[in-house]
Amino acid sequence: MAVAAVPAGGIADHIHPEPQGFVRRYVFSLDHKIIGIQYIITAFVFMVLAGLLAEVIRTQLLNANGGFVAPETYNEVYSVHGSAMIWLVIIPLLTGGFGNLVFPLQIGARDVAFPWLNMLSFWIFPVAGLMLFSSFLMGAPTAGWMEYPPVSLQGAAGTSMWAAAIFLVGVSSTMTGINFVVTILKMRAPGMTFTRMPLFVWGQFATAPLLMIATTALAAALAALFIERQFGVPFFDPTKGGSPVMWQHMFWFYSHPAVYIMILPAFGIISEVLPTFSRKPIFGYKLIAFSSMAIALAGFMVWAHHMFTSGLAPFLQLPFMIITFLIGVPTGIKIFSWTATLWRGKIHYTTAMLFAIGFVGLFTLGGITGIFLAAIPFDLHVHGTYFIVGHIHYVLVGGSLMGVFAGMYYWFPKMSGRLLNETLGKLHFWLFFIGFNGTFIPMHWLGMLGMPREVATYDPQFTFWNRFESVSSYLMTFAILIFFVNVLWSIRNGKRSGPNPWGARTLEWQIPSPPHYYNFKHIPTVYGLPYDFSQPLPYKGLEEELTDSPPPVAAGAH
Amino acid sequence: MVENRAEPVRLDGGFWGATAVLTLLAVAAIVFWYVFPIDRYLPEAIVTARQVDTLFRFMAATGSALYIFVAGYLLYFSIAYRAKASDPPDAVGVQVHDNRKLEFWWTVIPTLFVIILSVVSVRIWYEIMLEPENGLVVEAIGHQFDFTFRYPQINGEVTDEMHLPLGVPVTLNLTAADVIHGFWVPAMRLKNDTVPGLVTSIRFTPRLAGRYPIICTQFCGVLHSQMDKQVLVIEDKASYDRWFKGWQQKNAHASNTLPAEGGGAISLQGGDVAAGKQLFAQKCTACHKLAPFDQKLVGPGLLGVLHDPSHPNLVDGKPATPADVASILQSGYTGSMGAMPNASANGLSEKDIADLVAFLNTLK
Repeated sequence: MAVAAVPAGGIADHIHPEPQGFVRRYVFSLDHKIIGIQYIITAFVFMVLAGLLAEVIRTQLLNANGGFVAPETYNEVYSVHGSAMIWLVIIPLLTGGFGNLVFPLQIGARDVAFPWLNMLSFWIFPVAGLMLFSSFLMGAPTAGWMEYPPVSLQGAAGTSMWAAAIFLVGVSSTMTGINFVVTILKMRAPGMTFTRMPLFVWGQFATAPLLMIATTALAAALAALFIERQFGVPFFDPTKGGSPVMWQHMFWFYSHPAVYIMILPAFGIISEVLPTFSRKPIFGYKLIAFSSMAIALAGFMVWAHHMFTSGLAPFLQLPFMIITFLIGVPTGIKIFSWTATLWRGKIHYTTAMLFAIGFVGLFTLGGITGIFLAAIPFDLHVHGTYFIVGHIHYVLVGGSLMGVFAGMYYWFPKMSGRLLNETLGKLHFWLFFIGFNGTFIPMHWLGMLGMPREVATYDPQFTFWNRFESVSSYLMTFAILIFFVNVLWSIRNGKRSGPNPWGARTLEWQIPSPPHYYNFKHIPTVYGLPYDFSQPLPYKGLEEELTDSPPPVAAGAH
Repeated sequence: MVENRAEPVRLDGGFWGATAVLTLLAVAAIVFWYVFPIDRYLPEAIVTARQVDTLFRFMAATGSALYIFVAGYLLYFSIAYRAKASDPPDAVGVQVHDNRKLEFWWTVIPTLFVIILSVVSVRIWYEIMLEPENGLVVEAIGHQFDFTFRYPQINGEVTDEMHLPLGVPVTLNLTAADVIHGFWVPAMRLKNDTVPGLVTSIRFTPRLAGRYPIICTQFCGVLHSQMDKQVLVIEDKASYDRWFKGWQQKNAHASNTLPAEGGGAISLQGGDVAAGKQLFAQKCTACHKLAPFDQKLVGPGLLGVLHDPSHPNLVDGKPATPADVASILQSGYTGSMGAMPNASANGLSEKDIADLVAFLNTLK
């Protein structure tokens, strides 16, 4: 009887038969690990495309009068570059990708709460991505990733395609958010209280509500833009009684929390990698966990700091400035805690660790310029300039993407059973680090001195630094090429990793690499935090995981 | 396994040495930002530009100091505490979980800093907001892909450069004819979007003569990158007056009511008084009272605008007629009474204009 199989925790613990056949195992899979890998592969494919667009941008800007592509094409290129990197690369990698792959293992679950929903979330994503890139066929959007009306109402037909594609990505994100919240709330292993969850799980737990709640505002805005463009209902056109500023409110009500969607999971990755390779507990576990929640909550109350020049009433701007400053406090706590984690550790310089330390250094710079931008008088000077472009790339590349790379080097063995090559990895890190800083640091002073963003040509006085940036960006692209070579080579020829190559202590490392489709033979019981390196592991019930014994089949399982 | 949990947690000489070096570097960075001649790279053309630079110096100095400490400790710990070849493979670091005192202070000190930064920012922001209101009123209108300017006592629009006299406070009203543009003069450290259907103002006082580029900072269409060719000229009163007279003569016969987009006069047939009254309440009362002419809000009071003989003549010295009023509603106004945006900016259709004129005609 099914009733007999329900343990005290209230969840029927049983193992479904392993799916057979290539299609059910690797294409329309219900397994969170496979879905995670599908997300990661798809997002990296889109990253190659969006990265090539980035190099079109930098090549155009080699010369002050452009000339590599026509201005119209250039506008399409940077708009799709931004949209794709945010919605098709960073968000899917950090939530659908690493989220799916890692956190169910870390909480001792057999899968996410709704595997079919998870499969649907994934399969919407490549369709939406192809739609976004196919907008080039009918004239891609040109008004940047923000697509402010009324100019986006004048955009080519692809602008409507863009709205539909991003809408679909939003649907996928929302479903993922629901799935993750329920999984974390209901499916933790016995004994895994909230204050024993690994910090990567906390990162996902803070992110998932943002995915669920904020994305709805974006969906509404996109639907309105689509309806106005296709059917002429005037939501935003001021000549017909619409309000262009309304778009900005709805867009940023999503897109500011989206910044945290793109960074909180990366914070989680860093909080796993740093203690593992310092052989030390993460410093200030509780404050790191709670500061993620504080950032997520405050993230809903600061959207108008993107709109200080939009014509808001002055007294309305003030609270947005001060709350934005305040987000610096929990963010600072994290940065200080990560730094303190290294203090008197035994630091092992794996590539993952290099990326994690690099993350702290670069993200901090992006965080500090973020505080600059929140100060209204300074924002009135640099809003809409290359200073913003520099800031956003420090946060999203120096932050999120460095986090993604740290996660890739760290969890690749769990995905494939093989290690990534460390020599190529270190080459990747150093070239990327140098190229990245060379590309984005000069943007700060270019912006302050008078170079606006989203331009196909610029004042010739800025030629030297633009060329410097372009050449650095080629170095960065070369570094990423090394990364892809490394992945493709290591997947067949990499050193076998065994279950736990890093001596890490979270649950996913206590089972084989790659794990069985059912994850755990027996759901373990958790007795403490995973980060006490001098103590025995705080788990019970893992004795059979690395043996050849078959998984138990629960009586009465359907 | 190496059990070193019991080892007392203390800070060694290396830590204090690193701290001393980082403190020196931080002080050097603070001094650097306070002596750095920002205005050599970008002139400070208006009074509040210097305040914005002061705020930047404050943030750059404190931000650099903070960054030096974070990056410095990160680097120092990374080097000092690397695992050595001589360590046993299962060697672990000092098992410290947290430190209440340390966490308390690195929460409280940033919070205090946020309060200080808020006070500094708000004060400087107030200085920008509190620039005098009664100065020269100029209107800048964003178009795809240039700005036009309207001055009191110059008919029509000034289409190339924007000139301002030194030392005279300015209220710059911003709006747009088509899409959102950004009006930015880097040398002023000030910008605002020009939004169709919305009039926003910035106020400032020019302090340094020169020619400064005006740059559009909000993507506005295919030639957005080319929208950086116009300049703001700040000059002494005599040169400004010469330029001003030149434009007065050049535009002597230009109409303040600019040609309507699409051309042609508006049909005033079938204007609906009730609809006009409702529209007036929605669209006009922010700037105009239903009161005699001299009760000015932003623009003049409009009671009896078409009938009261004491009401001044609005257009080219002639008494106002329904056609003139319709024309102003359609195309906007800049003249001795200030500036009013056009129908596109106000969100008025031709039917709306006919309704409004019909309503205004009933006011005696």
